Amino acid sequence: MAKVPPMTISSSTTESSEWVHSPPPVPLSGSSLPMLTIHRWCLWVGISFLLAVVALWACLGFGTESIAFSRVWSILLGVLMGNGPVTIETDPVSVILLQVRLPRLILAFFVGGSLAMVGVALQALLRNPLADPFIIGISSGAALGAAIAILFGVGISVWSVSALPVCAFAGALLSLLILYRISSAGTGFSIYTLLLAGVVLNAIFSAFIMFLTSVADPNRAFGMYAWLMGSLTGPNFSTLGILSLYLGLGLIVLGTQAQSLNLLTLGEETARSLGVEVERVKQSVFVASALLTGAVVSFSGMIGFVGLIVPHAVRLVLCADHRLLLPVAGFVGGIFLMLADTVARTVLSPGEFPVGVVTALVGGPVFLFLLTNRNRRVGM
Amino acid sequence: MRDSSPFIAGPAYVLRDVTFRYGTPFRNTSEPVLKNLTCSIDSGKILGILGPNGSGKSTLLKLLSRVLPQGSGTIELFGNPFSLLSQADVARRVALVPQETMQIFPFTIAEMVLMGRFPHHRGWGGWHWEDSEDWRIAHQAMEELDVTHLGSRLVTDVSGGERQRAVIARALTQEPQVLLLDEPTAFLDLHHQLDIARILRRLNRERGLTVILVSHDLNLASQYCDRLMLLHHGEIVEIGSPREVLRPDLLESVYGCQVLVDGHPQSGLPRVSLPV
Repeated sequence: MAKVPPMTISSSTTESSEWVHSPPPVPLSGSSLPMLTIHRWCLWVGISFLLAVVALWACLGFGTESIAFSRVWSILLGVLMGNGPVTIETDPVSVILLQVRLPRLILAFFVGGSLAMVGVALQALLRNPLADPFIIGISSGAALGAAIAILFGVGISVWSVSALPVCAFAGALLSLLILYRISSAGTGFSIYTLLLAGVVLNAIFSAFIMFLTSVADPNRAFGMYAWLMGSLTGPNFSTLGILSLYLGLGLIVLGTQAQSLNLLTLGEETARSLGVEVERVKQSVFVASALLTGAVVSFSGMIGFVGLIVPHAVRLVLCADHRLLLPVAGFVGGIFLMLADTVARTVLSPGEFPVGVVTALVGGPVFLFLLTNRNRRVGM
Repeated sequence: MRDSSPFIAGPAYVLRDVTFRYGTPFRNTSEPVLKNLTCSIDSGKILGILGPNGSGKSTLLKLLSRVLPQGSGTIELFGNPFSLLSQADVARRVALVPQETMQIFPFTIAEMVLMGRFPHHRGWGGWHWEDSEDWRIAHQAMEELDVTHLGSRLVTDVSGGERQRAVIARALTQEPQVLLLDEPTAFLDLHHQLDIARILRRLNRERGLTVILVSHDLNLASQYCDRLMLLHHGEIVEIGSPREVLRPDLLESVYGCQVLVDGHPQSGLPRVSLPV
């Protein structure tokens, strides 16, 4: 910027004093401010990963049959070393651990992580800190899609493994599009309008689901009630494999948009003026969110509030940058749901209650707190 | 940032027959907000866009930053038609400072300023790690607007004037040739109004930045703009120097009320007052 070289200070003090007075400042860098650098990113993602492993290890020990942590460790090591398959007669503990608890906890991790990441993405896209796939009605849209699929019979056949999530995906996408139309229509739109719209959407979709269950064959209807409450029972590794395909696809799409989501929090017009292809980003995020919600709901039913609590907690502790927020919220959401499911399994042992009960009992009060305490740090 | 004023031949913008109306492609019956706008906007100057409420000022600014899809007609940016440029192409040349910056998430000022580097990076939705060059540019812009000390504060925690300066720093971080501002002084007190106006003039004089600003403040525009454009009902009424545009007869016909115009005590440029 300097047009006058520093040597001419004496000749024209008034002219040059303006820019000579500031000495070359210490250059800012990512490390001098609490900013996101690749080192910080690796550090926090690594920490979250380790926490997830520790949580998985701890949760594996709890249950009707309590298993010591050292035993859990040796069984897992045995699998990693490639020991042969175990049967219920020779080693019942291993079977419980590897074929019942492990797949269930992995499902909980996948479901919780996906819900948290969808929450992060929707909050940025709708610019609403209270957006959560369950609260604003995306999950119930997915549930309606899945319910239609189940009641028309595709839920039992082998083919259904691929048809059920697709129907749920369609339902989730439908409710997302309705919500987006509502949130972008009209002026003076507030964050509460979206919540009201979500309440109404939930009511409408629930009414359809109720109608479908009441006309359905009682056996199927009973299975559906348990599933609607949110349950993580009975997965095996092949269903987990299919689920992870859907989730992987959705997460890759969502992850690539992380930086665009940062800019979208400034508003669509500002994001566009900064070079974001807003329409394309919105479409990708909508499809990815619907895919994740659809897949998760079709495998585990309606589990609420994970997408609300976890992003807020991570923003409070770390930062709002979506490049870090998305992966860390994913890990933390997974950990949260693993813990919630362990509580649901053990409190009434040997009985259990739906994991959705635990997340609602924790998340509901947090939601009310956020609603009444407009805290700037958590973005209200 | 460029160290010397870049020499840019020709006008910054050429608009031909630009007509714009809000509405969807299917429901397009509304009255156009801008009608057959044809003009050229010089580079290296400060242009003030004036006009009563609803005259299409902000819409014009949004068209120039390509925040709104282009209506009919053509807009050329330094000789390149908008239709051939991507959103990032435009954002590398043109930066927009919106009227108000709302942020609901806890981003820091430094994080927000660094977002100005987005159009300069390619790849997966702009997934990149800021390098030392990005930091240098952002830091220089923050120094220029005197917001470096606010770097680690949250966008939501600083005052309106500080936030506005930070948003201008973000715009400079885009390394633009054209800076568009929508009512840059609307929510600021006198001291900060003067601050922003002086900063804009300095940027214009020192590095030849083309500045286009929308303002309701006729007097500030008169003092700080090289040229003024007066809009009324989506049409250009007059475009020229402050003395040519701020005439009582013209202002009365556009604003629909009596105005008094005399000279500013220091500069002698037109000063507009309302009658008692």
